[in-house]
Parts: sequence; C-alpha cells; structure tokens
Amino acid sequence: MESMLRYVSPVNPSIYPHLTLILLGIGIFFTAWFFVYEVTSTKKSRSLKKELAVSLVASIFSGFGILFLLLSVGIYV
Amino acid sequence: MPPHSHHKESVGGLGKMVKILLTLLPILTVVSCSPIINPNIVNKHVERIIDLTSQLVKITSTITLENTGKESVNNFHLIFEPGQGGNLSYRILKDTAKDELRVTPVKIENYKDTFNVKLNQPLNSGKTTTITLEYIFTNALVPYPSSITQKERQLVRYFGNVYFYSPYKTVKQSSSIILSSRNIESYTKVKPVSVSDSTINYGPYSEIKPFTTESLVVHYENNSPFLRVTKLDRLIEISHWGNIAVQEDIEILHTGAKLQGPFSRYDYQRDTSSNHHSIKSYKTILPAAAHSIYYRDSNGNISTSQVRARKDWIELELRPRFPLFGGWKSSYTLGYSIPSYQYLYKMPSGSYMLRMRLLDHVFDDMHVDQLETNVVLPLGVTNVQLKFPYSVDRLSDDIAHKYLDSVGRQVIRLKKSNLVEQHIQDLDIVYDWQPFLLFHKPILIAICLYALFLLVIVYVRLDFSIHKPENKKD
Repeated sequence: MESMLRYVSPVNPSIYPHLTLILLGIGIFFTAWFFVYEVTSTKKSRSLKKELAVSLVASIFSGFGILFLLLSVGIYV
Repeated sequence: MPPHSHHKESVGGLGKMVKILLTLLPILTVVSCSPIINPNIVNKHVERIIDLTSQLVKITSTITLENTGKESVNNFHLIFEPGQGGNLSYRILKDTAKDELRVTPVKIENYKDTFNVKLNQPLNSGKTTTITLEYIFTNALVPYPSSITQKERQLVRYFGNVYFYSPYKTVKQSSSIILSSRNIESYTKVKPVSVSDSTINYGPYSEIKPFTTESLVVHYENNSPFLRVTKLDRLIEISHWGNIAVQEDIEILHTGAKLQGPFSRYDYQRDTSSNHHSIKSYKTILPAAAHSIYYRDSNGNISTSQVRARKDWIELELRPRFPLFGGWKSSYTLGYSIPSYQYLYKMPSGSYMLRMRLLDHVFDDMHVDQLETNVVLPLGVTNVQLKFPYSVDRLSDDIAHKYLDSVGRQVIRLKKSNLVEQHIQDLDIVYDWQPFLLFHKPILIAICLYALFLLVIVYVRLDFSIHKPENKKD
C-alpha cells in the first residue's frame, strides 16, 4: 500500500479552462483562415497544399480544444 | 482480515485437484468423518445485547468459552438458531485481540446451518477465551398492528429466544434488550426479568442445557425510520483525465406499518413532534472530496436537499418529494464526482488499482435489498483482476458507450443482496492500461473535423452551374 502512488491526471485539472481558451482560440483562428481562403481564392490561385495544411492545424487544435472544453465543464470523457 | 474471495478462472488446475482429492478421499474419511460437537467445551459466561432501537436487529454476544477437556481445542461450532425471524445480513466473530475468526460452513448430522469457527490460538485444557459474536438481522421486526392511521404510533414485535442458542452447555448467561422507547406493550416474562427505562434485562440464568429455546416476544413502540432500499444501482465511471464519477439510482420503500385511511397534509403540518413513523428526510454521507452533486428523479431536479461540508465527509440532507408512510415508495438519482487521486492508484508494477467502496452510505441503519455495482473501466484496459471484501456475485461483463466512445468500454457488474452498513467496504480492481490511450478521444475529434474540412475542399472544386460559363475561350 505504501509503494502505491495516487493517480493524478497528466494535466492539472485547474488549467483545463485556460487550455480550452488557448487551444480553441488557435483552432478557431485557423478555421476562420481556412474558410476565408476558400471563399476569396479563385480556381487558379487555389493551392491544395495550403488548404490541407491549414485545415490540419485547425482540426488538431480544435480537437484538443473541444476535449478540454468538455473536461472543464465536467464531462469527463 | 476479512475473508477475501478471489475471482480467478483456474480451469486447468481443477481437474488435477479432483484427481488428488479422489485418491485422498478414503484417507480423509478415516481421519475426519463428520465432525462431532465437542462436549468438553462449555460457555462459562454469555452476555447478550439485543439492540432493537432501529429497523435492524443487532445481537452482540460476548461468550467466555472454557475448555474442560484434557486436549487443547482449535475450533468450535456455531449453529444457527432454527426459526429465527428475519434474514441474517451480517455476522462477525472476534477474539480478545479483536482479530476476526474464520467461519466456514460445515455439515453436522441432524443439524442444519452449522458452521465451524477456527480459533486463532488453540485453547488449552482448563483455559478460557472470550469471543464476541455479532449478528445483524433485517426484516426481523414485524409491525403489529400492521396498519395504523396517520396519528397513531408505530408498534412492532420482535421474536427471539430467551436463552443464548448454543450447541454447548451454558453455565451462566444474561441478556439485555435495548428498545427505542419506554413504551412497551408486552414482553415475555421468564424470571428473573426486569425493566429499567427502555431496557429489558433477562437473567442471569444458570446451567442452561445445549440447544435450549424459549420463545421471546417483545411488543413495543418503534418510530425509527423503517426504510428499505429495495434497489440500489451504483455506477462508478473512471476517467484517467482525473475524475471518478459516481451515480446511484435508488428505490426506497417504507416497510413500517401501512398507512390506514387518508393522508391529511393539514394534520401533518400541524404535528410538530419529531417522533413520528413517517419519514420526512434523512442524511446521506458522501466522501469529503465529492463535488458537482446532483439529486434528481424522473421529473427533474429535487430542490429540497441541503449539502453541509463536515471536516471529514459531506453530509447531504435529502428530503423526498413527499413524506413517506408505510408502504409508500420513492425513487431518485444521486450523483457526484471525486478527483481520481482519492481512489485510483498506480502500482509499482505499472498497473492501476481502483480501491473504492462497493456500497456507500445511504442513511443510518440502512438496509439494502438489492445492490448492483457497475464499474465502467477506461478504454482499452487489459488483465482485469478483482478483489472483494466479502462474497459477491459477478455478472457477465457489459460494454458501455459513454461520451466519444467509438470503441466500447468494459463494465464490471457485481451483485449482492441483503446488505447493511457493515458492508460498506472497499472493492479492489487492478488493471493494465496504457497512458497513450488518453489521446484516443482528442484525435477522434480531430479526425472528424478534418473530414469536414476535406468535404469543404472537395465541395469548392465541384461545379453545379447548369449553363456553360460564358467566356469559354480560356
């Protein structure tokens, strides 16, 4: 019993709201950039590489942001 | 040490065991044929306290055993009294050092419900030892009359034995019955017997033969809550993000004297005496670190509850939507969250262990009829091992789909009936789990979002226009 460690989350639960704000902020910024780019670019100027890169960054940050949003409101997934 | 029962499948070893047993059988039968009740053991002194103050019957007997034989004794027998009312829920035997004694069922000819009790230290010839025996019975107090009006007091009857039931001779014994009120309608009189305040004292009686019974009936007023949890579904959900969620679906029933005639809210509000057979509210004790507590039923939130933080626990005063009278039912859901470090441990071997109560407090002197505890393990656990504080039925595992569970999570299902407060003990679940599995859910969300983005990328490249572009030159 003495040699057992109490298990704590790898991320301190008290910083979940801050993480949500930062990650989701970055995610929304890249999402906005992606959609602005989609709307403003023409067939000629559109670059598939750039679209894929921006959307990848947007989805990763939003993904983690949504997770920490759920955790900070008390939905422990 | 409580008797542990491990749940581990060992099919291979079983056949071997049977073989060895078969070869040993002739030898075994010669060595120890049906055990015989040792006539040299004598109950030198027995003192019984029968506590009838609540809805439960708690019998504590302090027995001084004497070995009058020549050889030392390692064990003694315990025979369950035939015709004892109620259901035995909990039994514990302790010696003078407060160590628990092992009780195993044993077959003795002509007797039913016989148990063998192993002494921790052998009892030498001519020596004595003191043993404490504690029984808790449920459903043993019978309301009589079985139905009463709103204003009447609740009277119950207890059926028992004047003497301590034992397979051994009892030299001297006395019993005291503690009641919840001074109002005693009647009680069996076997001299010497005396009543002082709310206690009936029987004895001392001397030289009582083995297996002596003399029916004892006490009819008295008992307005303590006769509340039974008919069904308790306890759900424990582990999240390695640092939380353990607990939810209890509880069905309660007032098992006291049934309400006769109508219920008058006016009379009920006017009656300010606290000594009443109906149940207005009760207290549930939660762990000190519990937070995000909710109390609701099928209609929604029940607002009549109050949380008080004590030093070592959280006291929750719950008030059902209506006062409960005999035969009335209610049901509700109670839930809360606890930080994982309270109950989840990481072992040196790299496994994780959840050490949590199999059953938790609902109200004082509670009686739980059916308990089902379900533990939702994290995603991707392997090598699950369980350790129970007492014998529990393990049902077949289930698969649960909680938030963002694309793959189901293993659910351990445990069942037990007829429990009391003494059954609030820890359950250990040991499992292996990989920390990278924490990334499963955020990556799942990210993949879904990326799929949406790809859909947009494809969509902008599609052309839905009906007529051809005007400047088709370039």
